[in-house]
Amino acid sequence: MTVRNRGALAAMAAGAAALTVAALVACGSQPAEDVGADEAAALASSTPAPPATPTAAGDASVPVSAGTLPADGATVPPVRLRIPPIKVTATVNPVGINARTDEFEVPPSVNQVGWYRYGPGLEAAAGSVVIAGHVDSADQGKGAFFRLRELDRGDTLTATGSDGEDRRYRVVAREEYTKTKIPLERYFARDGKPRLTLITCGGPFDPKTRHYRDNIVVTAVPA
Amino acid sequence: MQLAMFRRVAAGGAVAALTFAGVGAATMSPAYAASSKVSVVHGIPDTPVDVYVNGEKTLNNFKPGDVAGPLTLPEGEYDIALTKPGEAIDKAILKVDDAEVPGGANISLAAHLSADGKPQITPFVNDVSKVGAGKARLIVRHTAAAPAVDVRAGGEPVFEGLTNPKEAKADVDAGTVKADVVLAGTDTVAIGPADLNLKEGTATIVYAIGSADAKNLDLVAQTISGLHSAPGGVPSGTGGQAGTGVGTWWYVLAGAGVLLLVGGGARVATARTARR
Repeated sequence: MTVRNRGALAAMAAGAAALTVAALVACGSQPAEDVGADEAAALASSTPAPPATPTAAGDASVPVSAGTLPADGATVPPVRLRIPPIKVTATVNPVGINARTDEFEVPPSVNQVGWYRYGPGLEAAAGSVVIAGHVDSADQGKGAFFRLRELDRGDTLTATGSDGEDRRYRVVAREEYTKTKIPLERYFARDGKPRLTLITCGGPFDPKTRHYRDNIVVTAVPA
Repeated sequence: MQLAMFRRVAAGGAVAALTFAGVGAATMSPAYAASSKVSVVHGIPDTPVDVYVNGEKTLNNFKPGDVAGPLTLPEGEYDIALTKPGEAIDKAILKVDDAEVPGGANISLAAHLSADGKPQITPFVNDVSKVGAGKARLIVRHTAAAPAVDVRAGGEPVFEGLTNPKEAKADVDAGTVKADVVLAGTDTVAIGPADLNLKEGTATIVYAIGSADAKNLDLVAQTISGLHSAPGGVPSGTGGQAGTGVGTWWYVLAGAGVLLLVGGGARVATARTARR
């Protein structure tokens, strides 16, 4: 076998190796499939309101309330979140809306996560308690929700309220949505069954804009 | 004395023709096209009443400062009458015939004093469009026997020159503001200050009621919830370590692999051909 021939064979071997590695990476980076999407959607559908039967004039059961100025509601904010299957213990901060972008104000520290303070608190009998956290950041590395997409149906987690009470939840769904298509109204709903919604980023990363394409959404119900 | 005045109003046939027409077209939503939500706000001091709708008693001993409803009323025309508690409807102290309620609207009927102190009923159409995430809607209605006023929040005028029976409104950042009502263009406080908790995703409607002369000016509030919007998005990663999709460099590597394979294969093939 000539030297030239040996070089050619080596090139072929290197080529095969390169292809194999690239293919392995491609397969390995396929996102995990959505689970429980139907169940998550069913939780959001608001409890059917009684049909709006016109109140007959003369019905003496009209609700009457004192027109006092509205007071602060008794909301119980979550202050700590523990998700043992993915080894997360994080401080939860009450957060709102970024005035410039109109987007959810995820806490700047990637070790902490943010509870949407305008939505329901842990005490709520209806609606979605939303906690969002960073998957990672360019300057701080991996975030509290780096492994959120590994959660599966049946996994349990615990949210501790400002009242010191632990509330356990069971994961029923994990979904991935393109950010332009995610039905945020459903996850930020204040009606429907009581549930906890965890949100982070995922999917392909665009290094130019430094943004992920997708959101990962985990839905859990009181265990 | 006030009651006597009411009777005079009724007897004199000083009945305002309430017209909500034109409201319906703008606010109609197909699902509820046939009915409207109607609340009643009592803003006449010291005068509890029974409220009759189409001759039927709907509210018993309705007290000043209270808010009733919302009632769901099919669109149509309604006769509304207020009586002293327990009195017959023919002794109504204030009545409005053929008040037109359009379909698909959210309406507040305020029983209140006019600028010169006469009892009247004014219909207001409530803006129940969605507010942006993080926002609350503040609506202020001048329904008091008082001159024009300014409404201030944190000492700064937010609504100026408001007169009876007009309203002013704005969507503002949710949260608590210290608000007061001053005579228009002055620092003379007429009502307040009071802490207003403007809850996100709600409309807080504040009625200034009572009479400046009788020194019983006060505030009545009505809240409409469910007007919230979701945030524009949840941006929660800038690192790229969790990226799933296949990066460009992996495509380059795969391409290089293909080139090497093809190139090497061709080389081997030509070498074999040459040896023959």
